[in-house]
Amino acid sequence: MEKPENHAMESETLDHHKSDDHSDESEQQLATETPKSDSSSQLSLTQEMEAVDDFIQSLSSSTDPLKEIPPSVEPFPETVDSLVSKMESSGLGRDEAEDSAFILAVNRISKSVLTLRELRLDSTPVSSWLNRASSVQNRAASLLDEEFRHLLNRSREKNKNNKNADVSSDSTHVESDRCVLQEEETFPDFPPESISTLKKIAGAMISAGYEAECCMSYEMSRRHAFKEELSEVGFEGINVEDVQRIPWESLEGEIASWISIVRRCSTVLFPGELSLCTAVFSSDDHAATRKRLFTGLVSAVTIRFLDFSGAVVLTKRSSEKLFKFLDMYETLRDLVPAVEQSDSDLIEEIKLAQTRLGEAAVTIFGELENSIKTDQGRTAVPSGAVHPLTRYTMNYLKYACEYKDTLDQVFQTEPEQETRRNQREDDEEYKVSAFGRQMIKVMEHLDANLEVKSRLYRDPALRSIFLMNNGRYILQKIKGSTEIRDLMGQAWTRKRSTELRQYHKSYQRETWGKVLQCMNQEGIQVNGKVSKPVLKERFKVFNAMFDEIHKTQSTWIVSDEQMQSELRVSIAALVIPAYRSFFGRYKQHIDSGRHSDKYVKYQPEDIETYIDDLFDGNPPSMARKRT
Amino acid sequence: MPATDFQGTFGRSFLSFRRDQVDSNTPAAGSSSHSMEAELDSFQRQVAEKFTDLNASGELLSLEWIGKLLDSFLCCQEEFRAIVFNHRSQISTSPMNRLISEYFERSIKALDVCNAIRDGIEQIRQWQKLSDIVISALDSRRTVGEGQLRRAKKALVDLAIGMLDEKETSLAHRNRSFGRVKDSHSHHRSMGHFRSLSWSVSRSWSASKQLQALASNLNTPRQNDVVASNGLAVPVYTMASVLLFVMWVLVAAFPCQDRGLQVNFFVPRQFQWAAPVMSLHDKIVEESKRRDRKNCCGLLKEIGRIEKSSRVMNELIDSIHFPMSEEKEIEVKQRVEELVEVHEALKNGLDPFERKVREVFHRIVRSRTENLDSLC
Repeated sequence: MEKPENHAMESETLDHHKSDDHSDESEQQLATETPKSDSSSQLSLTQEMEAVDDFIQSLSSSTDPLKEIPPSVEPFPETVDSLVSKMESSGLGRDEAEDSAFILAVNRISKSVLTLRELRLDSTPVSSWLNRASSVQNRAASLLDEEFRHLLNRSREKNKNNKNADVSSDSTHVESDRCVLQEEETFPDFPPESISTLKKIAGAMISAGYEAECCMSYEMSRRHAFKEELSEVGFEGINVEDVQRIPWESLEGEIASWISIVRRCSTVLFPGELSLCTAVFSSDDHAATRKRLFTGLVSAVTIRFLDFSGAVVLTKRSSEKLFKFLDMYETLRDLVPAVEQSDSDLIEEIKLAQTRLGEAAVTIFGELENSIKTDQGRTAVPSGAVHPLTRYTMNYLKYACEYKDTLDQVFQTEPEQETRRNQREDDEEYKVSAFGRQMIKVMEHLDANLEVKSRLYRDPALRSIFLMNNGRYILQKIKGSTEIRDLMGQAWTRKRSTELRQYHKSYQRETWGKVLQCMNQEGIQVNGKVSKPVLKERFKVFNAMFDEIHKTQSTWIVSDEQMQSELRVSIAALVIPAYRSFFGRYKQHIDSGRHSDKYVKYQPEDIETYIDDLFDGNPPSMARKRT
Repeated sequence: MPATDFQGTFGRSFLSFRRDQVDSNTPAAGSSSHSMEAELDSFQRQVAEKFTDLNASGELLSLEWIGKLLDSFLCCQEEFRAIVFNHRSQISTSPMNRLISEYFERSIKALDVCNAIRDGIEQIRQWQKLSDIVISALDSRRTVGEGQLRRAKKALVDLAIGMLDEKETSLAHRNRSFGRVKDSHSHHRSMGHFRSLSWSVSRSWSASKQLQALASNLNTPRQNDVVASNGLAVPVYTMASVLLFVMWVLVAAFPCQDRGLQVNFFVPRQFQWAAPVMSLHDKIVEESKRRDRKNCCGLLKEIGRIEKSSRVMNELIDSIHFPMSEEKEIEVKQRVEELVEVHEALKNGLDPFERKVREVFHRIVRSRTENLDSLC
């Protein structure tokens, strides 16, 4: 026998061999008849295959060494060989019945080869039959392998073309429609006929003992498919080192596309891959193969995603990165279910990558605390307004709360010292989520910082206004978001409201206490009569105080409109009735004198008007002049 | 001692430990400069011991030996980490802050090497699959028919192509002909195609350039730096050298993108570990210059063995005429047994080895993130 090299040459050799050994006319007829009359060869084929089945049966049951091949079985290798040649030119996937017949034949020759190989063969005719049969089987397996790959790759090519398709082309018209519809939903986009053919081929190759080749071809094709998917969205291999060098603005863009492709894998690509795997290697016997192939594919792809997230985590910590890190954390978390069917090693790796992101998030959040602690400006915010630190912190926290559940997960995995944890479990106040605790800590730091900042104001009234402004801002931000509110809890919110009221009272006392004292009736009457000098003095003092307050406190700011109006209303309620009554009772005692204007400067209505100027933040020159 | 032992000691507890531990450099902790000297000396000694051991035992450049090298790296890394931790107050001052940050820059370069090696390991796995085919096709417990020989032959050809150094692959594509009558779509299951799936690093990444970057500016610490850092500059230099050496070995042993071994690696004799490391280095350079290994895709011993046994098998198959003589049958059996031997070693060793590489990756990352966190 010649060297096993060229297939074309090989079948010639087989024919020669056959014609040398078998001059049986029926065999020659079969050889020539096979291409011509399908119906009669189909019949012979069926009969042959039955004969082969019986032959294999007998091999398994008999203990006697096999001496010769039954004549009904003898031509089978050549029969199959011609079938192979036929399928080689027509290809699989065109005629289902043809394919099935072919596969059946291949299965039989495989089975006979596998069975014979188990036997020790002394007989030359048997050995030579085995040789022929195994050559044909090998040829068939090679053909199947090529068809397998061809089918796998052809669909990929088609998809690629369709994405840029012009609909006018007939053959691709249907596919492109389907593609447009299903592009987002199905991957991979194999028509069901292809899948059925692929399934047949895989089954036949595995039965033939060519599982290794089948899997290699499958893997190769699918990896290429994934590579194309990834390239299409611009996800190329990116080095850890390069990630360190990219400025954050550009890196954000990379992260966004990473998130998008990982999500696509979770929702479309990986489930699609699992379906394909299950469809092609559908038999129960193939379970281990399926798992191995699926694991191999998703691992190869996922590890690249983890490389990227790992590289990102290595960059310098900064507060602006928190939310992107959390986004990535969530994206990885959502990936796990899609790879559940694979090996546990992969899932461990994903979780490890998540943990890294989580740890980084914790550090960054901790940075917030630090930056609050170290914010030690010596200049007070003019007019007692809301401090930029308050705004920044509250907005940051509000944004962070959108990730409340994720941050909870992240902080829960943070190790806490045993003692602290026990203490917390007893403390009612701390029956709050892990992230809630962090929020409270940040707030506490902010409060402490604001307390220090408030002491920069020499005027105690302004101090109170400052604390009111910031406290109010904080409270409004918390009330404005259900997440934060729920996180911080009712008790905490109530406590803050109480504090605000206290600041309000402080303010009133500081500013208006002495003013009210002016209008106290005590000491005005001397010896039962109203003392004019005392009265004049009182009015004078009132005017001076009121002027001063008006001048100064009009420049103060109360940002929150509601609070501003509340303040004014409360001042009015405090001062106006008192002044009205004072004015009403004592004005006449001064009216008659000279320069009454000097003393009675304000009408009660004026007081109201001037009170309305307070906390507008207007510079003194804009204070309204008395008309 | 397996490297995983350290995970318990230095894992989670390490971080919480950090928050409460008083800096051992302060007088209150009672640490003297003498104990620091002892600590640094012990580190030098440990490195020297590890490399002396590597010189003495195991087969150079075998999978097992490289695994041992990685274990040694992990041990040294942990020791280094402890030293850095113990003297962390110094790390934030000059010159240590500069030296440490340079070290971490280097270690990041090593990460890319670890990822690239993963592709190399994957390639070896593909060769293993092909070897598997050959072994099962020529299994002598069953009668070997002509079809099995053809099957084995095809796998061997694929294997030979797959093992070509990447520079030669394009030539091979052009020159070979396998009598395919099919259309151009059906590409041969050649490993060249597999290689084009370089997953882990960017297309422009180069192993040789990365090694050169790792080696650049790796100078022995200046005397004033040593003094100013209380000697800490020396372990930094040591670790950087060990890192470079380990990465160099990995690149030398495994197929990877733009694999080149030209690196100026020299450690002056004054260091305890210089002699064993340089000795290993020289042995490996010699190995790379051997005629039969000059153009191979990786110096891993097992690669050489696969190459050899598959080549011999290939020649044997070509010489077989059917019916097979008993002589040939025996020869086939022997060659298959050889192939099985090489195959088994790799089969059992490759997965754990890959995990080790991953461990190296993770440790370097952890070390870096700890450093980052401590800067906050």
